[in-house]
Amino acid sequence: MFRDTLGLALKNALRNRRRTLLTVASISISLFLLGVLLSVYQAFYHQEGPPEQALRLVTRNRVSLTFSLPEYYEQQIRKVPGVRELVPTSWFGGVYIDNRPENFFPRFATDPERIFEVYKEFTVPPEQLQVFQSERTAAAVGKTLAERLSFKLGQRVTIKGDIYPMDLELTIRAIFESDVENQDFAMYFHRKYLEEGLPQSRRGMVGTFGILADSAEAVPRIAKQIDDLYRNSERQTKTETERAFQLSFVSMLGNVKVFLLSICGALVFTILLVAANTMGMSVRERITEIGVLRTLGFTSGRVLSMIVAEAVLISLAGGLLGCGLAWGASGFLRQSQLMLSGLSFSPPVFLISLSIALAIGILSSLVPALGATRLPITSALRHTG
Amino acid sequence: MVNDLVVEATDLHKEFQRDAFQVIALQDVQLTIQRGEFVAFMGPSGSGKSTLLYLIAAIDRPTRGRVEVLGRDILQLKERAVADWRNENIGFIFQTFNLIPVLTARENVELPLLLTHLSRQERAEHAATALGLVGLSDRMDHYPRQLSGGQEQRVAIARAIVSDPSIILADEPTGDLDAQSAQEILTILSRLNRDHGKTILMVTHDPHAARHASKIRYLEKGQLLPEGSPQPE
Repeated sequence: MFRDTLGLALKNALRNRRRTLLTVASISISLFLLGVLLSVYQAFYHQEGPPEQALRLVTRNRVSLTFSLPEYYEQQIRKVPGVRELVPTSWFGGVYIDNRPENFFPRFATDPERIFEVYKEFTVPPEQLQVFQSERTAAAVGKTLAERLSFKLGQRVTIKGDIYPMDLELTIRAIFESDVENQDFAMYFHRKYLEEGLPQSRRGMVGTFGILADSAEAVPRIAKQIDDLYRNSERQTKTETERAFQLSFVSMLGNVKVFLLSICGALVFTILLVAANTMGMSVRERITEIGVLRTLGFTSGRVLSMIVAEAVLISLAGGLLGCGLAWGASGFLRQSQLMLSGLSFSPPVFLISLSIALAIGILSSLVPALGATRLPITSALRHTG
Repeated sequence: MVNDLVVEATDLHKEFQRDAFQVIALQDVQLTIQRGEFVAFMGPSGSGKSTLLYLIAAIDRPTRGRVEVLGRDILQLKERAVADWRNENIGFIFQTFNLIPVLTARENVELPLLLTHLSRQERAEHAATALGLVGLSDRMDHYPRQLSGGQEQRVAIARAIVSDPSIILADEPTGDLDAQSAQEILTILSRLNRDHGKTILMVTHDPHAARHASKIRYLEKGQLLPEGSPQPE
């Protein structure tokens, strides 16, 4: 019976092919946008970090990221109970070759002895690590970055300074990998090399401290203790989990969460209106047929299920097409690094998108279907529409 | 003879509201139809012919009165039961054929069988048999738009008989057809009545069509005139 209902629904869905195709297209485009937006939302707010991330904190200047912290804070932070390791990092900025987006990548001055201790998910061959740590102008690049820009071991790389008044002449000595997608799209080099090139007045400052805690339970306490240490100092700190630190970049854009959810809601509502209009037209044209079916012995419920199945087929077709497009677009955006590196059209986003398509199919057809099937058979048979 | 009574309507009365007016469609109709009869109902437009047919098919409900069809008080049946009952016992033929345009002739004829427990194969066989009976074995895979009006009405007849109902109700079955097609349809209905024992109740305006029936009953202003009454002026 289910197969017969589905068969009838499919034939009815293809009754007006142009209208059905246009409806599928409009639903698919809306679902495509919705899928990408949901992926962005997920990348911002629900992306799973590596297990080590739960143990990591970031300390920065309380005022802003553009203000730095004295490097001597490191010794004091290290004494906070529960701090296992910490590493200073400074965003270098700069220009590699030119300002085109394809040549942009994050560059950090750091402590080569400890960066791989704090970021344990980075794996690097021991012999490469040894050379990286021992050579003052050495740089370590992530594998994804190396592949994107065809970096090779031993290659010399010049980074023109912009934030800092110096150019870097680096040699790539290590290529590290990470299990976390695109986390290895960065370059690290010796902070000492940076310090040597700076005027005396700008030395001894650090952008952030990456901190590795003993346990996840200790993380909130460590954050509070560190910030308490500098509460009355000239350069107060703000310590937060690495995840919160990452999300703070998002919050710089404004209330992204509300913005994204508002657009998603508007999209869903718009698709619902489009689909409801189409189903309304489709059902109105067939009221006499509905009367005939009921004369033949089809119950209102059976006719209702046929109409709803038809709408669900159309919206699921649009939904699947839209999900396919969103999957492709997310992959493209991730590969091109134009947007979030963690952007991916994940199975949960796929399921949510498809559920929305399903709900749109049901909701859009329910009102016209109920109206038509509740009509007395005699009125349906006399309908001219 | 009691067992041969297929329709028994007692004090059947139907009123409905049309805008501000109360319209009486049927007025205290008393009607009995015996098994195997071919009855034509005639009368001017608005005399209540189609309404009577709808009440017998349980498509509509009377304002008051009682209808027993095949020994069942159909007014007591709930929606699902009445739908099943109609599927099993009533075949309905419309003036405008009312085939589903996206289904082939065979699929249209199979429609009532979708509500049975027959397998796909059995349904196809029954549909082929019904279409054979109306002479359309070679048009089974044609869509309604590929058929003439007469052929469409023959498909509609095949759809009405495919579940082997005892009663066939035909509402102006030749109203939209040319003379030759109308004659073909009437011949098929006569054959179904004569050779297959179907009880046929046919509404028509056409005296020529009515002559194929074994009995003609006239309705006027909602009243069923006594049997044997002459056609009203």
